[in-house]
Amino acid sequence: MRRLLGLLVIVLFITLFALVIASGGFGYEVPPSRVRELARQFLVYAYNPFNTTFTVKSPEAVTSIVWDFRGLDTLFETLVFYLAIIGALSLYRGIESGKRAEVISLGLSPIVKTVTKLTAGIIITVAASIALHGHLTPGGGFQGGATAAVAPLLILIVFSKYFLENLGLRKNVLLALRSIGLLGIGVTAFSALIIGLAAGSPAYVFQNQPKPDAPVGLPVHIGDSLISGTLWFFNFFEMFAVAAGFTVIFLLLGIPEGEVLKQLREEVGEH
Amino acid sequence: MLEVIAVYLGQALIAIGVLCDLVASIGLLRFPNFYLRLHAATVGTIGGAFVPLIGAALLAAGSTYLGAYRWFIAGGALVTAIMVLMLAPAGSHALARAAHRSRAAVVEPKVVNYLEEDEVGKSG
Repeated sequence: MRRLLGLLVIVLFITLFALVIASGGFGYEVPPSRVRELARQFLVYAYNPFNTTFTVKSPEAVTSIVWDFRGLDTLFETLVFYLAIIGALSLYRGIESGKRAEVISLGLSPIVKTVTKLTAGIIITVAASIALHGHLTPGGGFQGGATAAVAPLLILIVFSKYFLENLGLRKNVLLALRSIGLLGIGVTAFSALIIGLAAGSPAYVFQNQPKPDAPVGLPVHIGDSLISGTLWFFNFFEMFAVAAGFTVIFLLLGIPEGEVLKQLREEVGEH
Repeated sequence: MLEVIAVYLGQALIAIGVLCDLVASIGLLRFPNFYLRLHAATVGTIGGAFVPLIGAALLAAGSTYLGAYRWFIAGGALVTAIMVLMLAPAGSHALARAAHRSRAAVVEPKVVNYLEEDEVGKSG
């Protein structure tokens, strides 16, 4: 009875509180009847062919914000992810994953293997579409890369870690791929500045389209395809950095615990 | 005319899907052991997901008031249906195989278990 009374009080309180907020009891409307000024500016300037000095030329407002309006923020987010994986790698330093030449007998049954072969290709295709259309539809480099990393994860579980490594996706290859991705992001960030220096006009780091005092910018179209200047390149390189980063972690976690402990004990024994 | 048939056929398939989902959820609650419950779950994925997705594709294809966009919905539903048809059996197969090999699931009450008979025949 006491519990029921308590429940009744809670439900009544929440209902009344919601009613007061919804009817404007705190002096403002919820939800607001008009778009807020900042949101309105993002919507107006994301793709604006009439105002070429403030636009990103991308119909996807979220990607415009993430890679242009607050592009520096996203660069440091990428760096945090990069450092987190370096941290994980340093924990596993010196631990060899072991090699096996014969890997066909490992893993799950042929039925699951056949289905995985079909779906891994589809997953990569979807991931590429999410990342490379990031400036047109919801999605982007991180989302595409995270999706792409599911394919090696599936292969790791269904076939085996050794199968994945025999395919060529070894730790060092993935680390190189990840570094190339980050290097690409860095070069793209400086691209407008490089163009500006070459053309002898002022330019900014992380500039995409021409600005009032910096008239250089990256091309909006390649052929007939909209690429929105730097956005397509950022998404493209971010996909590689993220997919390779996640795959490295999956490979490290795939090392059998017994093997890790054995190698750690040998290391301790040497000292 | 063709659109009307597609809409009615789609609605019929979705109704079959609802029935399959209901049967599958009753089976999941009432069946006595893991393998039987897995059987009920596959009724839910093929009968309750694949069939109504095909129904949704037909329904969208027949809804002319959606204009050209109906083909996007129909195509999406069809691709999802094919993916479910491919992935769900593989998943339930992997589950059943793992449960049998690790002997995590007890087959009780048991009517017949050919796999167990084969294993006894091999070892004996």
